Amino acid sequence: MRLIVRRLALYALTAWVAITVNFLLPHFMPGNPIQTMIGKLTGQVTAQEINAIRLSFGGGLNQSLISQYFTYIGQLAHGNLGVSITLSAPVSSIVSTAIPWTIGLIGISTIISFFVGTVCGALLGWTRGSRLDSFIPTATFFQAIPYFFLATVMLLVFASNLHWFPVLGAYSQNLQPGWHWAFVASLLRYAELPVISIVLGSVAGWMLGMRNMMITMVAEDFVLMAIAMGLPKRKVIMAAARNAVLPSIANLSLAIGLVVSGALLVELVFNYPGVGDLLLNAVQSQDYPLIQGIFLVITLTVLGANLLADLVYLWLDPRTRTEVAQ
Amino acid sequence: MTTESTEVGGVVKSDTPPAAPSTDTTRQVVASTIANEGAMGERILDVRNFSVDYGWGEGAVRAVDSVDVHLDRSTVLGIAGESGSGKSTLVYAITRLLRAPGVITSGEARFNLGSNEDGEHVIDLVTASEAELRSLRWSSISIVLQSALSALNPVVRVGAQFEQVLKTHRHDMSKVERRARAAELLGMVDLNEDRLDRFPHELSGGQRQRIMIALALALDPQLVIMDEPTTALDVVTQREIISELFELRSRFGFAMIFITHDLSLLTELADEIVVMYAGALVERATARELYEAPRHPYTLGLLDSFPPMHGERTELSGIPGSPPDLAHLPTGCSFHPRCPFALARCANETPPLIEIEGSGRSVACWLHVGDDGAAVPVELNRVSTSIASPSERVTEVSS
Repeated sequence: MRLIVRRLALYALTAWVAITVNFLLPHFMPGNPIQTMIGKLTGQVTAQEINAIRLSFGGGLNQSLISQYFTYIGQLAHGNLGVSITLSAPVSSIVSTAIPWTIGLIGISTIISFFVGTVCGALLGWTRGSRLDSFIPTATFFQAIPYFFLATVMLLVFASNLHWFPVLGAYSQNLQPGWHWAFVASLLRYAELPVISIVLGSVAGWMLGMRNMMITMVAEDFVLMAIAMGLPKRKVIMAAARNAVLPSIANLSLAIGLVVSGALLVELVFNYPGVGDLLLNAVQSQDYPLIQGIFLVITLTVLGANLLADLVYLWLDPRTRTEVAQ
Repeated sequence: MTTESTEVGGVVKSDTPPAAPSTDTTRQVVASTIANEGAMGERILDVRNFSVDYGWGEGAVRAVDSVDVHLDRSTVLGIAGESGSGKSTLVYAITRLLRAPGVITSGEARFNLGSNEDGEHVIDLVTASEAELRSLRWSSISIVLQSALSALNPVVRVGAQFEQVLKTHRHDMSKVERRARAAELLGMVDLNEDRLDRFPHELSGGQRQRIMIALALALDPQLVIMDEPTTALDVVTQREIISELFELRSRFGFAMIFITHDLSLLTELADEIVVMYAGALVERATARELYEAPRHPYTLGLLDSFPPMHGERTELSGIPGSPPDLAHLPTGCSFHPRCPFALARCANETPPLIEIEGSGRSVACWLHVGDDGAAVPVELNRVSTSIASPSERVTEVSS
């Protein structure tokens, strides 16, 4: 228990550092970011927008850096991330609209990819040297192709030419978003191709990692013991897999952390309304408050995912529970 | 899950053993006394003409070459030899735990499951099916490995590992009974019940090895295989565990195969000892005879490599050279390049394992063939003097 508290404290510290860096970044930029931004908005600047810019950088440049910092923290505590210049809406609400799309698509794809890859990897590792091994180069091939190319080709072939899948967007434009069956069905239908492309492009990594760990584990004495004990084959494989999956869990935490940020290409190719798409637009229009807000959300997501993985790891591997003597 | 390539115990059986390497055409097999083919009586394990290769075809390396060993109920067979002598390979192959690329190329390993009104129930482990093997694993033959840390599943509590074994083989036991049995087993090896709630890494090396022994006895097996069970432990713990082990053996009467390179230790606790070199048996004798009067130069070398447990101090000499590369065995007797007594014929002809007349013990050495023993060096011609029997010696150790 004390171990968990200590981890939580460590993550709180990391989060604070991330927030502080996020606050300081604009101040490191050459020149005055507010002037730069107002310059970009030639002829369209309203007083409200200038105020929004000021707010986003900590409520005004007349204050000292320290008091700006505390204003910024105070605003954050209330969930206020400033106001987007280009979209003229609070950053927090813009980001929170985009996030469910990204987590829904990329998050679920990552989880599917992890499970498919891990289960296949475990079986491939167990039956190493068999004909099943010929499956590996195919999987590696899809991972080796740049994702952008893979996704574009899939979109062209299966959606544009063969019409097996809808082409663009997250749901049919004829439907009103809401929790009714037609909309959900459309949602799933539109997600199919992106999900397949992501799984195809990433499953080899999980599979190879798991397979290699599994081969190492199968050679371990405790697996030999499980066989010598006459345990059913299923249990022998589980004994090996249970130990082999540990490094994959660590990798999963990193992958989940990257879900929010790594969505850019997917959302670009499939015109999906997620955080990646939002970030691209924000960068293109130099919408600093929005960029800053997205960065902050990404950072906190990565931290959250790592924390989760840490806790899962503690639960899965008793050896990590041993506290170092103080 | 259609293929079984990582499954243990790949068996290639052919009627004719694969041809010996061309450089060693004289290598021959002298079958041990072929007695009553059917009934095994007190014999629990009878292994004949047993050969194991690593790899297939051209690149195959013979790790065990036409070995015959046997073991009676409630006795201890010691298998001694250096690393790479094939002692572990032999035992893992017999129990069908050998992993790829190890392949059994010839031989049989008949295991006596005991008698009932229908007569003896004997099974050839080499040809046994997966299901037959699974039913006899652990309940009839269990094994203790050298490193208990790697032999226990690191992420599973000790108690759950007992639970797993009992649940698989003792379907009639309730959860409470299984827990009670696990606690009872820990008591047998002087461990407190609370160890069941620990993970393997939380225990000391001696405790872990005790747990392995308790696990091995969980189902009252007829045969327990000890693969260097004390090598990873300090001498004090080693002694404690060995004496505990022999108390347990006298209590439950299981037979044991004890594998070690420590011949000195083996002479203390085995009934019969076979010495292996480069995959072949070079000597077989009772522990007492082997200790008192080794007949093979290699056995003599092994005995001189460890301090004796009792008696006078002796000079440790060791064996010059290193174990041979199994892929390129010397011609003739595999041991001749390291042998201080090598004769001219040793370089060309492989000595068969033959019984020394009237002694009941066997040795594979040209020194003991022909010439009425005139050529036998004095070191290898000692007369066995009486020493305490293995059981007496163990009592002595534990007291």
